[in-house]
Amino acid sequence: MALQEDSLWYKDAVIYQLHVRTFCDSNADGIGDFVGLTQRLDYLQELGTTAIWLLPFYPSPLRDDGYDIADYTTVHPSYGTLEDFKTFLSAAHNRGIRVIIEMVMNHTSDQHPWFQEARSSRDNPKRDWYVWSETDTKYQGVRIIFLDTEMSNWTWDPVSKSYYWHRFFSHQPDLNFDNPAVFEATWEVMKFWLDMGIDGFRLDAVPYLVEREGTSCENLPETHAVIKEIRKRLDATYPGKMLLAEANQWPADVRAYFGEGDEFHAAFHFPLMPRMFMAVKLEDRKPIIEILDQTPAIPENCQWCIFLRNHDELTLEMVTNVERDYMYDEYATDKTMRINLGIRRRLAPMMENDRRRIELLNGLLMSMPGTPIIYYGDEIGMGDNIYLGDRNGVRTPMQWNGGTNAGFSFADPEQLYSPLISNSVYGYQVVNVDSQKRSNHSLLSWMKALIRTRNSYRVFSRGTMEFLRPSNHRVLAYVRELGNEKILVVNNLSCSAQAVELDLQRYKGYIPIEMFGRNLFPKFGELPYLLTLGPYQFYWFRLRRI
Amino acid sequence: MADETYLSDDLLRQLMSVGEVDLLVGILSHSSANTMRAAARSIENSLQQNFVRQRVAIISVDGGAVEDAASEDSVDPQTEGIAFSKGITSLRTIHRITAGFNSAPSAGLALRTILASSDLLRAKACAVVSPATSSTSPDWIANLLRPAFRDSFDFVAPMYSRHKFQGLLARNLLYPMTRALFGRRIRELYSDEWGFSNRLGAYCLTQDVWHEEPIRTRPEAWMGISAMTGPDFRCCQVFLGEKPQPPAGSGPDIVEALRQTVGSLFWCLETHQSVWLGRNGSEPVATIGPDHAVSAEPMDLDRARMFEMFQSGVKQLEPILHTILSSETHTNIQTVATLDQQTFRFGTDLWVKILYDFASAYHHSVINRDHLVQALVPLYRGKIYSFLMEHSDSSPGDMEAEGENLCLEFERQKPYLIEKWKAGVEVKS
Repeated sequence: MALQEDSLWYKDAVIYQLHVRTFCDSNADGIGDFVGLTQRLDYLQELGTTAIWLLPFYPSPLRDDGYDIADYTTVHPSYGTLEDFKTFLSAAHNRGIRVIIEMVMNHTSDQHPWFQEARSSRDNPKRDWYVWSETDTKYQGVRIIFLDTEMSNWTWDPVSKSYYWHRFFSHQPDLNFDNPAVFEATWEVMKFWLDMGIDGFRLDAVPYLVEREGTSCENLPETHAVIKEIRKRLDATYPGKMLLAEANQWPADVRAYFGEGDEFHAAFHFPLMPRMFMAVKLEDRKPIIEILDQTPAIPENCQWCIFLRNHDELTLEMVTNVERDYMYDEYATDKTMRINLGIRRRLAPMMENDRRRIELLNGLLMSMPGTPIIYYGDEIGMGDNIYLGDRNGVRTPMQWNGGTNAGFSFADPEQLYSPLISNSVYGYQVVNVDSQKRSNHSLLSWMKALIRTRNSYRVFSRGTMEFLRPSNHRVLAYVRELGNEKILVVNNLSCSAQAVELDLQRYKGYIPIEMFGRNLFPKFGELPYLLTLGPYQFYWFRLRRI
Repeated sequence: MADETYLSDDLLRQLMSVGEVDLLVGILSHSSANTMRAAARSIENSLQQNFVRQRVAIISVDGGAVEDAASEDSVDPQTEGIAFSKGITSLRTIHRITAGFNSAPSAGLALRTILASSDLLRAKACAVVSPATSSTSPDWIANLLRPAFRDSFDFVAPMYSRHKFQGLLARNLLYPMTRALFGRRIRELYSDEWGFSNRLGAYCLTQDVWHEEPIRTRPEAWMGISAMTGPDFRCCQVFLGEKPQPPAGSGPDIVEALRQTVGSLFWCLETHQSVWLGRNGSEPVATIGPDHAVSAEPMDLDRARMFEMFQSGVKQLEPILHTILSSETHTNIQTVATLDQQTFRFGTDLWVKILYDFASAYHHSVINRDHLVQALVPLYRGKIYSFLMEHSDSSPGDMEAEGENLCLEFERQKPYLIEKWKAGVEVKS
């Protein structure tokens, strides 16, 4: 199955996010690698995913899970070789799966040769590749992102006896994009991977590329200029490749990163994610409607990327203080579950392993506007380990079967890069791919059906959305529409059965066909359409006029 | 629930959509649509700020104005609450429900509708307010709800800062008499706004009283008295600040006010006699905020006219008063009615005896009960005239002390009422 030629492929994609290290270990060293990942591509194809987003796999001291890159143009030896990567890429493409890789432009590891050179001497040609200062008082008032670990955005470098700027960890110095040489070096890195055939980049920490005194040093026009230039070169040389922005900002601010369709192809919708969780806990659609009402329209060739969980904490930066307190109280009662401004938990434990709620949230993910991203393991309901440091609790080995090391590795268990989840609820003995493949009613089988249904109708990925606003606030209902394709989605956000009357007068005469069972429901008429839904139940109806 | 038939299909449909709530605010509206909208906004803002996580609904009960108000607000048909206040803090949808009737429902039916809605929605706490007189303080509605919602109180009475000559009926009659008889020191039982728990709401809903005239017209005190006399209900009062005064002429005149309030109180004496007959003295209830506040701004009252109406009333109603009052009391009132304005004083002893005679006469139905209550009006005017004369220069502290003395006189003379209540009608020649 070859890749379909479509420059807007990212709009129709179902993306699977994984870290090579976590997925499958082929050489029994306890660490996942590209050979192992390649062996598991059939699984991802069966699941229905059409793109893989790989977390950083570059050489790195791994003090920030690979986001501290020490060499941009090769593979970390623990994960294999460049040849292994090329083999994986080819195998993925052969299965119709595209590959998106990380591009961390904002900063490098302090172990990167560029930084080593820059700090070696104030006269070094690479000195100006980073942001230096004689004092730590420049850019006062700029927020600190990693509040739990960093006291300042400046760190003293004892080697060159000056301060360097970093928005993240102190071992991640920010590159200086005011220096054209930095931009050219970055573009060379991108070309290196594009020439190899990758399909897109997820650009990390985009809002922070450029600094200016008296500003928040976020979302500056100079930053947008950098992105525009990259996009221009990409379109000219590598058509069909995509750029995905990581900009944890309010929708109105993220909107700028789409430009006039000449910056990013796609961007994460960060504020929507916590509100989906909030809506289910509150049993009230208000948080979702509010944030989507505030979301501006984006250019035709652009797309939001939406997700439930990812490799980071469930970020609560884009919520109000009241909302954050509520999320903490409801989803992170144990303070160990909290990190920075977020919650380091996986989907299933947050839903208390309630299959209905897990399904409802995945139903929302697959039916709302945007390209859905599934975090590895969430499709089988993997658990987490909040007692591991940082965000490692949601980065444990993939659980393939109930055997040795969950089928992840043949190494000694002690040798694994991370302990397995082994408790009685989420442990690999009970939650694993093989056991779920054996049941047509498992979460995995259900997810496959869900994704298959989504992939069958382009209206989900490209259609408009209009909220119906029934008086029952526990029901979130919307119509997706693309040409003649019309889908009605009705979600019961509450733990109890609900009745709802929907005003579907403008669809009078249409027959709703339930999309999973393909059963006909009574056609719409003049009167409000009455539906009853069980706890956390949702319907997807295809609307047909026959 | 005793009877659901008075709930319309439309209301039930709205309740179904709301589901379960933590808090319900009922608006008893006899006001214009504009007043209604302003009150609804004020309430919603208070709820948005004070109950950000709770499930909340607002129900408006009326016969016409509310429908207009609802349609005006229908620009936001989803009742998401967005339209009212930007920078909202509440996490949830705040629902607005309209219980519309073809014509203005009685106060009793409106309250019953709110109680039934509260019961169906399983509200943990409920507040009833009137848009015409409700405070606009942002914390006002929260203060009414919080004791029932958070502190397990069943009945929450309001308290206000008043001018010393405001609230004369409550100060001279309703408060001291209910305090003496029911044994709980709740100052504002006859108020347009109060809060209650789901337990008290459900209890009241099941009482077979809803077709009684006193309940149809003034059900609020009955609810408070039910809390004072019912099984283990906890009462408190909460300070709400200054009591906004309704526009002049918008409320009932003094005759109607007495008919409604005193009529309701006397009716409650009958229905709750098994309790009050056995109670002695009175107990304070928990008070949140200052226990009273009186200001001393000047206020214009036509005292001469008041005195004139007292004297003429006593003269005209002499035969009726003769039937109602004890011989001694009757003689005393005839005597004081002959005094001139300067020397006239209406003593507390005489005032208490009169009221207890009236209550007893109401109980024994010596004359038509409605006529009986109306006969109290001139005597009340005389008492108030005397009160105004005595306190023209009194400080708020003096007023409070005098008020307390009156309460104690009601308590001291309670055995007199009990004796008359239990005895037959005094036969007069």
